[in-house]
Amino acid sequence: MHELVPLPLLRPGQRASIDQLLGRDDDVHRLQELGMRIGSTVEMLQSGSPCIVNLDGTRLCFRACDATSVLVRLGEVACPGEVA
Amino acid sequence: MSVATRPITVALIGNPNTGKSTLFNALSGLRQRVGNYPGVTVEKKIGRTEFHGRQFTVVDLPGTYSLAPRSPDEMVAVDVLLGRRNDVEPIDVVLCIVDASNLERNLYLVSQVLELGLPTVVALNMTDVAEGKGLALDVDRLRKQLPVRIVPVQANRGTGLAELKKQLAAAAESPVPSVPSPFPEAFQQEVEQLGRRSSSNGHVDPKTPLPRYLLERLLLDTSGYLASSGLDTIDEPLLGEVRDARSRLANAGLPVPAIEAIARYQWAGSVLTGVVTRPAQRKATLTDRIDRVLTHRVWGALVFLCVMLLLFLAVYYVPDITRASATIDWLMELASAGVVRVVPEGALRSLLITGIVGGVGGVVVFLPQIFTLFFFIAVLEDCGYMARAAYLMDKLMSRIGLSGKSFIPLLSSFACAVPAIMATRVIENRRDRLVTILVAPLMSCSARLPVYTLLIAAFIPNLTIGSGWFAVPWLHALTLFAMYALTIVAGVAAAWVFKKTLFRGPTPPFVMELPSYKLPGLGVVLHRMFEQGWAFVYRAGTLILAVSILVWALAYYPRDATRIDAALLVRQAELQQQLDATPAADRDSLPAAVQLAAIDNHIAAAHLENSYLGRMGKAIEPAVRPLGWDWRIGCAAIASFPAREVVVATLGVIYNLGEGQDEGSDALQDTLRAATWAGTDRPVFNVPVALSIMVFFALCAQCASTLAVMRRETGTWRWPALTFVYMTTLAYVAALVTYQVGMWIGS
Repeated sequence: MHELVPLPLLRPGQRASIDQLLGRDDDVHRLQELGMRIGSTVEMLQSGSPCIVNLDGTRLCFRACDATSVLVRLGEVACPGEVA
Repeated sequence: MSVATRPITVALIGNPNTGKSTLFNALSGLRQRVGNYPGVTVEKKIGRTEFHGRQFTVVDLPGTYSLAPRSPDEMVAVDVLLGRRNDVEPIDVVLCIVDASNLERNLYLVSQVLELGLPTVVALNMTDVAEGKGLALDVDRLRKQLPVRIVPVQANRGTGLAELKKQLAAAAESPVPSVPSPFPEAFQQEVEQLGRRSSSNGHVDPKTPLPRYLLERLLLDTSGYLASSGLDTIDEPLLGEVRDARSRLANAGLPVPAIEAIARYQWAGSVLTGVVTRPAQRKATLTDRIDRVLTHRVWGALVFLCVMLLLFLAVYYVPDITRASATIDWLMELASAGVVRVVPEGALRSLLITGIVGGVGGVVVFLPQIFTLFFFIAVLEDCGYMARAAYLMDKLMSRIGLSGKSFIPLLSSFACAVPAIMATRVIENRRDRLVTILVAPLMSCSARLPVYTLLIAAFIPNLTIGSGWFAVPWLHALTLFAMYALTIVAGVAAAWVFKKTLFRGPTPPFVMELPSYKLPGLGVVLHRMFEQGWAFVYRAGTLILAVSILVWALAYYPRDATRIDAALLVRQAELQQQLDATPAADRDSLPAAVQLAAIDNHIAAAHLENSYLGRMGKAIEPAVRPLGWDWRIGCAAIASFPAREVVVATLGVIYNLGEGQDEGSDALQDTLRAATWAGTDRPVFNVPVALSIMVFFALCAQCASTLAVMRRETGTWRWPALTFVYMTTLAYVAALVTYQVGMWIGS
């Protein structure tokens, strides 16, 4: 089993799959509407807070708050996806 | 009228950044009307188009990721689609634009739209972007799995529009294909049961039951908005039913609201089976490469600073270089001269020149700046940079409790607070938006510049470094910088205080989409520039006109000639006779002409002193004396409350110079330096007084247009009233401290 980490801790170029969305129902619902859903793959583009992630081809700028966090499961770690 | 002859009403909806506005403009061209839905800040955009003689009315709804109303603004789209608004025709067809490069998320909204039971056409846009990302789409397979009309379009090139209109017309006339609900059976049953309950509770008019879609939303909405939205069909027994239904669903493993995302994405996944082929490894796009620089911690920040610097330079220099400001000044002089020629001396001429030409001109002179600012903001927005700027500024803005989205409105505020307040619409968090609106007028807008320029040139010693062409007037520049810095510090402090007091509450997570970069479309940019520019002219212009007429009347009446020194009037008449006796061509060179002008100015000043405005100035003198001001400065400050830019002209009148002074006028600077306290030879102005006036003008809420726009955007007078009180108090206290500390240092 791979480890579970908060999304902002991913390093640039690291990929992971969204495992849990924690927080108020309403905030989580908004995140889901923006395309963040359990099982989808994210790739960190710029780490830090806020961070920029690639989610299914969309770039999202994301800043977690005290009450909300996105936990991801590290899978296969790819290099920043450049096709030769 | 039958369906065949009356216009087809189309509602256009889609995710943000899918090219929705581009499609709307491509469909309706210039045939569009922009207004506001009453009570909310949503723009009502209605366009017209036709196809083979069929008329279409296109209603552009705000870009959204979801059709889930959680605020009055979000409710507008739902109400329009459900035909619940009297100011919009019932919708015949829904046109849903989707981004082909991110179909999964876009289909979330489509699945909500399909539940409305209206004929729906999907416009598949940005297929080129999808190809650029290495995605392959099987549109025919999508058509089989999603039983609605799907039309590939390229909104930016205007291709596919004819086919789109044909399908819209066909969809309006065909029966609505039934699309199965994405929700599990148990959930659908709960919604139906709620429907039966809501239509059977006695006091509800059976003709207007809550639409099924809203019942479903009521069950899913955990934000509490719909429950307290005041829809009369929603009452306490029904809400009790909703709570019971939720707990039954939770027990059945279908928790609300998570079930919505699960069900809709599952549906999207099944619709997209075999439709999208992704590359094995994500292809780095041009946007990725550009972003590596533009969102880089160091390079990104540097580029950002350069962009902002260019923006500012443009706002100050483009109106100059294009001679646009000069042309407007010239036109205003022409209008005044025309009035002088046609209208005889008296109240009407004064009203036309001071009240109307001067008042409207006060707004119009800022148009070149405002259009320039809107142009550059539209370019930055259309090419995708704006979102990066918000990303870069988020860290800074989050320290005062705001998000990166507040940055652009606050930046625009340095040009003019009116468009800045309109630009806060992009902030969907209500608390953040209100705080941004409340502090935006503090930023030092371009109308403050004339005040700074005049007073700095007249009273701040011109210390320079270097000589000749390279003499840098550092003290002047430093003073100007200090004024800008003061407004920024005040703004940051005010935002922090508001966030800690009135707008306390949990910070929601901040999520923002960064669209792909593209070349800005000239049409879109010009369109946005004119649209917002005219909105400004119209909204601000009407109010400014009314208020400037009021100030004119206060400064003109009661016009009591008996209060003017009789000797002056006699001398004025004599000189006038002398002048009338000489040929017109030689008049200006006569000493009598100079004397007459001086006497005219004296009389004008005496009239002003006796006017209602003069009396108000005298009445408040005790209050402004601690700031180092005499009654005349008090008058100028009162007259500037509608629009601070009139202060220079008012000072000109008050200090016996006649109207038409500008901040560069040497005569005005000299007169201000020579002004003394009544009955003494003590000068009114010194450095602390000049600084105290500048600080007051920097911080005070002296702009009726801003307050009016604030009222429009927030829907209540409460926030403009608060702004007026807090800014004016702040200005008074700061000016007081400036003067007192200045005098203490100087003594």
